[in-house]
Amino acid sequence: MRITCPFCGERELGEFTYLGDAKPQRPVADAGEEAVYDYVYLRDNVAGVMAENWYHGGGCRAWLKVTRNTLTHEISSVEPAAGAGAAKVGA
Amino acid sequence: MAEFSWDVRSPIDRALVAGAYGARGDAGVSLTEIRNFDLVQVMARRGKAADVAKAAKARFGIAAPETPKAVGTADATLIWSGPDQFLVLSKDGRHTMDTLAPVFAGSASLSDQSHARALISISGDKARAMLAKLSSIDLHPDVFAVGAAAATSMDHTSVTLWRGPDRADGQAVFNLLAFATFAESLWHTVLDSAAEYGVTIGYSEDL
Amino acid sequence: MATNQTNRLSSGGVIDRSTPLNFRFDGKSFSGFQGDTLASALVANGVKLVGRSFKYHRPRGILTAGSEEPNALVELRTGARREANTKATTAELYDGLEAASQNRWPSLRHDFMSVNQLFAPIFVAGFYYKTFMWPAKFWEMIYEPAIRRAAGLGRAAVAPDPDHYDKAWAHCDVVIAGSGPAGLAAALAAGRSGARVILCEEDFVPGGCLLSDDGTIDGLPAAEWLARTLAELSSMPDVRIMTRTTLFGVYDGGTYGAIERVNDHLPTPPEHQVRQRLWRIVAKRCVVAAGAIERPIVFAGNDTPGVMMASAMRTYVSRYAATPAKRIALFTNNEDGWRTVETALAAGLQIAAVIDARPDVSPAHRSLASKNGFAVLHGSVSGVDGGKDGVRKISVSLTGGARAEVEADGLAVSGGWNPAVGLTSYHRGRPKWRDEISAFVPDGAPPGMVAAGAANGDFGLGACLSQGFAAGAAAARDAGRNGNAGTAPVADDETFSLTPLWHVAGKGKAFVDQQHDVTASDIELAQREGFESVEHLKRYTTLGMATDQGKTSNVGGLAIMAAVTGKSIPETGTTIYRPPYVPVAIGAFAGHHRDETFHATRLTPSHHWAAEQGAIFVDTGLWKRAQWFPRAGEKDWLESVTREVKAVRGGVGFCDVSTLGKIDVHGPDAGAFLDRVYINTFSNLAVGKARYGLMLREDGLVYDDGTTSRLAEDHYFLTTTTAKAGLVMQHLEFCRQVLFPELDVQLTSVSDQWAQFSIAGPKTRDLLKEIVDPVEDLSNEGFPFMGAREVALRGGITARLFRISFSGEMAFEISVPARYGEAMARNLMQAGKQFGVTPYGTEALGVMRIEKGHVAGPELSGTTTATDLGLGKMMSTKKDFIGRVMAGREALVAPDRQVVVGIKPVDKARRLRSGAHIIPKGQTPGPDNDQGYVTSVCFSPTLDQWIGLGLVERGRERIGEIVHAHDPLRGEDYDVELCNPVFYDPDGGRQRG
Repeated sequence: MRITCPFCGERELGEFTYLGDAKPQRPVADAGEEAVYDYVYLRDNVAGVMAENWYHGGGCRAWLKVTRNTLTHEISSVEPAAGAGAAKVGA
Repeated sequence: MAEFSWDVRSPIDRALVAGAYGARGDAGVSLTEIRNFDLVQVMARRGKAADVAKAAKARFGIAAPETPKAVGTADATLIWSGPDQFLVLSKDGRHTMDTLAPVFAGSASLSDQSHARALISISGDKARAMLAKLSSIDLHPDVFAVGAAAATSMDHTSVTLWRGPDRADGQAVFNLLAFATFAESLWHTVLDSAAEYGVTIGYSEDL
Repeated sequence: MATNQTNRLSSGGVIDRSTPLNFRFDGKSFSGFQGDTLASALVANGVKLVGRSFKYHRPRGILTAGSEEPNALVELRTGARREANTKATTAELYDGLEAASQNRWPSLRHDFMSVNQLFAPIFVAGFYYKTFMWPAKFWEMIYEPAIRRAAGLGRAAVAPDPDHYDKAWAHCDVVIAGSGPAGLAAALAAGRSGARVILCEEDFVPGGCLLSDDGTIDGLPAAEWLARTLAELSSMPDVRIMTRTTLFGVYDGGTYGAIERVNDHLPTPPEHQVRQRLWRIVAKRCVVAAGAIERPIVFAGNDTPGVMMASAMRTYVSRYAATPAKRIALFTNNEDGWRTVETALAAGLQIAAVIDARPDVSPAHRSLASKNGFAVLHGSVSGVDGGKDGVRKISVSLTGGARAEVEADGLAVSGGWNPAVGLTSYHRGRPKWRDEISAFVPDGAPPGMVAAGAANGDFGLGACLSQGFAAGAAAARDAGRNGNAGTAPVADDETFSLTPLWHVAGKGKAFVDQQHDVTASDIELAQREGFESVEHLKRYTTLGMATDQGKTSNVGGLAIMAAVTGKSIPETGTTIYRPPYVPVAIGAFAGHHRDETFHATRLTPSHHWAAEQGAIFVDTGLWKRAQWFPRAGEKDWLESVTREVKAVRGGVGFCDVSTLGKIDVHGPDAGAFLDRVYINTFSNLAVGKARYGLMLREDGLVYDDGTTSRLAEDHYFLTTTTAKAGLVMQHLEFCRQVLFPELDVQLTSVSDQWAQFSIAGPKTRDLLKEIVDPVEDLSNEGFPFMGAREVALRGGITARLFRISFSGEMAFEISVPARYGEAMARNLMQAGKQFGVTPYGTEALGVMRIEKGHVAGPELSGTTTATDLGLGKMMSTKKDFIGRVMAGREALVAPDRQVVVGIKPVDKARRLRSGAHIIPKGQTPGPDNDQGYVTSVCFSPTLDQWIGLGLVERGRERIGEIVHAHDPLRGEDYDVELCNPVFYDPDGGRQRG
């Protein structure tokens, strides 16, 4: 598999580390135990297109949101995490 | 009380044996370790890209790379190392933590990497063939031209690779910054990969 | 003396007669020529019997001339280089080659195990599932060893492989599998368009069928066109022709696997060269021009030596000038088979008869028969007479029911052609049936791939050239190369007429899969027993599961299944296709990664100094760390480690701790960031101070620990454990970039920038004063416990000094830029001589941390909470942090959790072992009353006894209780006392002093 890093260009899978579903958002501090439990443990087992967190640790160290079809491995988009490239925020 | 001598030792000082290695005949690969350089990582702070660009321009006379490129100035090479980041490679204290700190005060965070890397310059007509065993990226001259840079991995080890100006004889030059504690291991892997082409090995204090 | 090449034609062939090569097969000497395969050289020497079959030990010969070969498998080379199951049909001949036949004893001609044929009824499909089921314990002791002796193929080498392998990457616009007419035309079109092209050819000579079959292309004889085309391709700098290279798989994102047999054609690889190289080819487009495989017809005795695929016979005669037989019969159901007759006649061989299963034969072929005096029989071959010396007589069932016999010493068989659909089907693709050729053809392909020519079911030479050319041009265009491709090469198409015939009923064994000895009746049996699905059929009969992956047998097998179930072949369907297309040595996948270079290693800055001192190194993750420094006269590690610990506790020692992960945390929000990732607070840490920090995972369990110092208002220096350095960096980057992007914080790994040493013991300050510039105040007031700042060293360099202690002693950690690391070790030795300074390794480090009750890897096990470790009070209640909410879950705060406690043996002389289970006194060991286990142990020189740490239920409430340690692994049972985990200096006076 190859992932096109928005910073580095197309690279082979070995440079990346997979984390998992990018959909769950970390609850705010006072969201309560149920919300955090959902965030930590409950995952959809998606057969199809899903957004995933990948880390380009063998390259530029950016975290990426990769939209991938789990059935075909087709990647339809790769976006940097909100804090990757933060120097340009507000520019 | 005795004074102490603080001898510097490159991380591949023991492993590097200058001279010929591998297959006999004309060496297809030339490996030169560059020793005792200054290397500072500049990482722009949140929202400060423009300030960093301005400061870099003022200091180096050219824009710092914002994409995977390496650009040379009169006395330094600026190498892209990731989003919002670049490395300043220089010699003889021209651009150190101390001298760069005021330049980027408030706009970027600096980390000294001078001792964290080994620098190997690779050339020769078999350089690309040898690098194809180590690097998964495309080094074809049309794709990886002079000035191209990559934050990538070799033998599961993070490296910074860039193409410097061609040699006088037209041969391409690939520069490889490897993490110091991995450097001896990677050096042996490089030698293994290059042995079939014949290797000439040396070191230099000059960038 | 090498025997004469009795079956070599006096002229012709793509062989170099000026380079004779000597080789040995089963100990007998033969000769061949440069350009031969082992199979063609055996054919040239009249050798027909080359192996014994897998189950029945039937004599077998050479069936094909390519990588689809099921029978002619040999052990190639000897000793450590012996390679089992090598196809003689692809093994390139070299001078001195040694090969041996397989699966026979005592010899190929007199094989004792051929009695298996007499027991054939019990060796049917699924035989071992049925026969060897009871009693169960017999399986391991009797059945399996007996079966293994009787069945099987070649023997693997026992010694380690002495050769080297490597791996490489290649990148191109268009990769082409196969250099036959379609592949060459594709390469021409793509190359002329300006594309970067890689053309992979598994043979050692490019050309594919052009090497065996004549024809006219662009008005030139095929051989001339081939030479001209190769010259043109070679002149293109971005076209690379890779011979001896099989494209064996396609992977996601346009990555292809290929195996290059770099030096398999030599007895041993030249110095510094590899035997094989694994290529990962990244290509924008792929043209599969892998051709087609001629398929057998299944009939009784079809495995007799001398029965050969018609196209293979053509190849041996045309390409190698070697004659598999003198008097040849052809059994065909299609027009293409007749080309073998033409080739054989042109070479002066005799045709015994043609048995054609079709109702009609063309007038041209009729006149060819009458002119050359052989009969054309309409019907099928129903049996073969012959044994290990090969075919003698062929029985024919004529259309209409009569029988005939044909005397011949060779039988060429052509059942039609199966396109090589492997590569196109590897992403769970299912090929589709095409009636006019009675074969499966690709139905789509993985993204970027297209099949052309015979691989696409179009067998004519003209069609191959035009399709290949069009595919190559389109692939180049798709890759953005728009140069002028010129015109396509032109040739006529041969007529193709075929009447499907898969299986001729008859008496005697008729083999479908010759490598696995699967017969037509095995398939019928599988159907009767309910294994009708092709996936079941495959597994029950093992059809297609041998090293040839059923290249000559799969389609025939499912055609027979279709016939017995009354379904059509497409209804019956195919099994899933999976790479690799040919066997690939594990050595090639491993490449450089074996023995000492199995993985990359990391060395500390003082590594070579430690090696000079005679240190024993231990692998810790990727690191080599000094474990202890033995001295002359010390009888074992324990004596060395004990000395090191005593030297530290009584004087001063130092240890390279550069392996700790080190991260610069910069930015205005660095403190706020650390507050969110640590359970305790760092934003209120004063500049110049260090603090111990603990991180949790989001699920509330402990992740990592370490000391973090504040070096400036906006700069923290964070350390991690050695084991988790990379993972913590990844985690912190996740926090920075994904969870908390609003914070202005920058992270940089500086692990390799700093050589860090722990200096510990009551004389630490004395030693430091020798090294540090006298202007620096190292007193308790000037540099208090948990202080952290830069100091000048004598001799003009700057270090970072941290007053932290892992050993419980008065201690500092000192960091210098890494290129000074070795000098630092030497200077510490020199300066510390007067104080008896002692370098210590990770063992002494471990002993001292256990004595001090510090937790480490065995306690940070991914199952423990901060409270379990006795660090619960560090958890801030004033802020949110990773893991805070989940750490409060009922089970994680339950009072009966296993918590860290000290453990000492009741019998002071006893050795403790980690892993022992803790059982309440007087109870029988078992899961119901297992209360925890011993995590870390050491011999404590300070207490002069073994001590340990453990995780024990309610441990902290039970200090002083005697419990039972049960160690079933080592068969030990003994009593231990639960105690305070801080064995040494519990009030901490020494480290603060």
